[in-house]
Amino acid sequence: MGDITEREIDVFLKAVGRYFEQITEEAALVQGAYLGERGQLPLTYDFTGMIAISGRYAGCIYFSAPRQMIRHLLMAMHEPNQSDENLIDAVGEIANTLAGNARAHFGEHMEISVPISLAGAPERIKSAVRARPYVIRVHWKHYEAALIVDIERKD
Amino acid sequence: MRLLIVDDSSIVRSRIARLLGANGLGETVIVGMAKNGVEAINLFVQTRPDVVTMDLTMPEMDGVQCTEAMMRLNPEARILVVSALSDKATAIKALQKGAQGFLYKPFSDEQLLSALGELMAEA
Repeated sequence: MGDITEREIDVFLKAVGRYFEQITEEAALVQGAYLGERGQLPLTYDFTGMIAISGRYAGCIYFSAPRQMIRHLLMAMHEPNQSDENLIDAVGEIANTLAGNARAHFGEHMEISVPISLAGAPERIKSAVRARPYVIRVHWKHYEAALIVDIERKD
Repeated sequence: MRLLIVDDSSIVRSRIARLLGANGLGETVIVGMAKNGVEAINLFVQTRPDVVTMDLTMPEMDGVQCTEAMMRLNPEARILVVSALSDKATAIKALQKGAQGFLYKPFSDEQLLSALGELMAEA
């Protein structure tokens, strides 16, 4: 397994900022990535969307956010249905969009799964490939969410 | 103009439908919404749309396979791929299978309306 570079992490930082800007006309603030705790994933928010990565890369990408942030995002999209089902759909779609956008840099050989979305903080999920996954804190309006990048290159 | 919306995300399906409803592109009628490729093919046969918005990453049958199948059923249909997959190879593959346009997610309201407007003008 090969580590991903700082430039590759930057791809995700830019994708998050752009997502919120494009959808809500207000970019999310992302202040860089840090290495999370060994084996732990800080999926501490209400809803989490996960994308499994395969092909020339392996691992997972997670987007985890609080209920109020997703509700606010749906309001910005003029989406009237704020049911849990739609909030779960939204985190999956965000994770899917960020992973899909990353293929502009990683190429078609980074294969991405359909999203798997969860409600509640999934404490039992451990990092898939990295001892210490990258954590990107996402600030939008007065909310905070997390994008977790737990991928490595297959060499 | 008859439109079919294909996306595995309910919020994306409803956003596209809502945007078209609010901005009324010509005489557009949404004839169906599908959450995977298999459902999309069934609806395509039943409703005979002129234009389709097509996601790529979907369960059961992906959007590239679905585009190819739709083009075999009706080569006159116009397909706008609406996907987060931002690599050039995927866009080329979808266009080779018969899609006429490609819009990257995340998209703004204006980008979607402009892309659909162009496709509908050609249909």
